[in-house]
Amino acid sequence: MIYKLLVPGPIDDVEQVRVLEWHGEEGHAFAQGELVVELETHKALVEVRAGQAGILRSVISREGDWVDIGSPLGLLSDKADEPVPESLEELAEMALSFEVS
Amino acid sequence: MSAESGGGKVRLFFREAIARALAEEMERDERLLVLGQDVGAFGGAYKEFAGLHETFGPDRMRDTPVAEAAMVGLGAGAAAMGHRTLVSITYMDFMTLGLDPLVNYAAKARFKTAGRITVPLVVKTTAGAKGQGVAHSQCLESWLMGVPGLKVVAPSDPASAYGLLKSALREEGPVVFIDHKRLFPKSGDVSSDEWFAPIGKARRLREGDDVTVVTHGYMVHVAMEAAQELSEAGIGAEVIDLRSLAPLDAETIAASVAKTGALATLEEGQVTCGVGSEVAFRVMERLGPVRAARVGPLPAPVSSNPVLEAACLPDADRLVAAVHQLLGQAKTKGTA
Repeated sequence: MIYKLLVPGPIDDVEQVRVLEWHGEEGHAFAQGELVVELETHKALVEVRAGQAGILRSVISREGDWVDIGSPLGLLSDKADEPVPESLEELAEMALSFEVS
Repeated sequence: MSAESGGGKVRLFFREAIARALAEEMERDERLLVLGQDVGAFGGAYKEFAGLHETFGPDRMRDTPVAEAAMVGLGAGAAAMGHRTLVSITYMDFMTLGLDPLVNYAAKARFKTAGRITVPLVVKTTAGAKGQGVAHSQCLESWLMGVPGLKVVAPSDPASAYGLLKSALREEGPVVFIDHKRLFPKSGDVSSDEWFAPIGKARRLREGDDVTVVTHGYMVHVAMEAAQELSEAGIGAEVIDLRSLAPLDAETIAASVAKTGALATLEEGQVTCGVGSEVAFRVMERLGPVRAARVGPLPAPVSSNPVLEAACLPDADRLVAAVHQLLGQAKTKGTA
């Protein structure tokens, strides 16, 4: 199954975030709880961790990109060879946890 | 909003635009010092000084006690003795404590000494209401507009924060740079090239034929929201961002009002002897009587209760209502 990883929220007082750093390249298998991507707000860092295991298939928002809360960061899948669809509409959301510091 | 230089641009958080302007000017001029609470290793109350302590060290990014009179006094004195200083007052409410060295010394020094002593001091401060109650919410900029020798600027976005701070840091006399708590969550395009926003020039952000809305700082965003609503009701609002409160760009404002025939001012500070009163009078000095409305907060301290805070502050709905009333009255009164 393919999942979309979305910018988590709401984050108090935050309108947009900037992607600071991905912690794995496309093809990397993230374990549950692993740090996937760090985001930067106007005053804090947001650590986004995998809420389930998943293989990073496609980075949609790259380091330095500006993104809204709820917009897609990337696609992950259970298996490495599952085809990635064109449209994100029907995809399930990747489970995640996040911490603002 | 565009970066205005015509060249490349880079998107920055509001705080980053401030840090960039300071970093460039500190690199260029080793006499430039920054004084303030938490401006050092902490990086500023809004992280607007982040990275500067690491680059320029504790001698040039100097943490101070909570003592605004001493901070502005030291900043003015150091500037008079050959440094250039930026004094950071975290909340504009506490500028009141630093007014004596600013108003009575820094603004007057070059007049008292026939130009022999100049005080290149920038006081940077953050105004506005955002959940922090009666003594951490005020917009006192109109208090400063009438002090001869003092310039006052107020950015509304990252580009103007960068450009105005750059210009302020090249001035020979004192400048008060007033940002706003609600601007810090914002991001925007800033010129990749060095750029200076001219002090004394307003900027027209939106064209319209029916009413001129004059505002500054965070209220620019409220005015743009109201202008969109008015446009849906068939009313064209021209929005002018003052950027510079002293000197005030009366010519740009009057030219707009000459076209639209009506003026609405919007400010978060009190309207009595406010920015809008001065804007309206300057316009009338040039054009004679014009239809005018001032929109501002209730004449009350701002509560830390969010419901009462919102009730006190001007918003897009109040501006829209004021414009409807202004233009509606004009219709009933004919051409009088």
